[in-house]
Amino acid sequence: MTIVLAVGVARSWPIALRGAAYALGVLALIVAVFGPALHLIPIDQLKLVVGIVLTLFGLSWLRKAILRYAGRKALRDEEAAFARQVEALRTADDVQADRIAFITSFKAVLIEGLEVAIIVVTFGAASTVALGWSAAGALVAVLLVVAAGLALRAPASRVPENTMKFVVGIMLTSFGTFWTGEGLGIAWWGADLSLLFLAMFYLAVSGVLVAAARAPKEVPA
Amino acid sequence: MKLSAIWEFIAGDSRLAPLAVAVAVVISVVLLRTSAPSGVVAMTFPCIIALGLAASTFERR
Repeated sequence: MTIVLAVGVARSWPIALRGAAYALGVLALIVAVFGPALHLIPIDQLKLVVGIVLTLFGLSWLRKAILRYAGRKALRDEEAAFARQVEALRTADDVQADRIAFITSFKAVLIEGLEVAIIVVTFGAASTVALGWSAAGALVAVLLVVAAGLALRAPASRVPENTMKFVVGIMLTSFGTFWTGEGLGIAWWGADLSLLFLAMFYLAVSGVLVAAARAPKEVPA
Repeated sequence: MKLSAIWEFIAGDSRLAPLAVAVAVVISVVLLRTSAPSGVVAMTFPCIIALGLAASTFERR
């Protein structure tokens, strides 16, 4: 959202929105093609592959969020990213600027949205109904982000991004563990209820890791 | 698109986290093949993943 806003403010709103709309179209196409195609794979193999991908994805998000909470990785500065993009677009050659603005908006939405598209496809792998709900959830999120962007007309610097990524990381890792286990033939205690226990377990482990990884404060001499 | 770029997109820049997932899968398969109680496998699997998360948190890159 930050980059699309920057393109809109620095150059032109129609170009910014066109770039974002094209990227959303590509993402919808990815979900429409790969979502139903996954249903052709036998369910156990599918759960195993999807589970492993989700676990890897979840661990990657969770690790970054833990490192940010612990102060070992810088928090994303939306206002700085916004200012950088605005400056880059304002200094661009006038002839090239529209093209750069379109590509910037398109690329930003495509790259950020690709993670969401993968999550939608994998969460919707269970059935066509699940894919529908998964895609609907993503669509609602997109509409909320667009509405927030249009209302604020400023970078979403007050959104607790790291907390959201931390929660999503816990969820992805829990679902990934559960599905990988099911694909391997593990009988989870309490069936679907074990997802809750997995989430609580990873939450507790992550909490300990945040505390353990926190950089020690310097003691004044 | 390079395969390494796709891999990094999915797994991030950690080497230990994907290694832990691979180890968890292999150990679970071995345990299930040796008729270990499912409850034991169900506890071992997330514990190895958690160890992988811990190792990747302190991984120097």
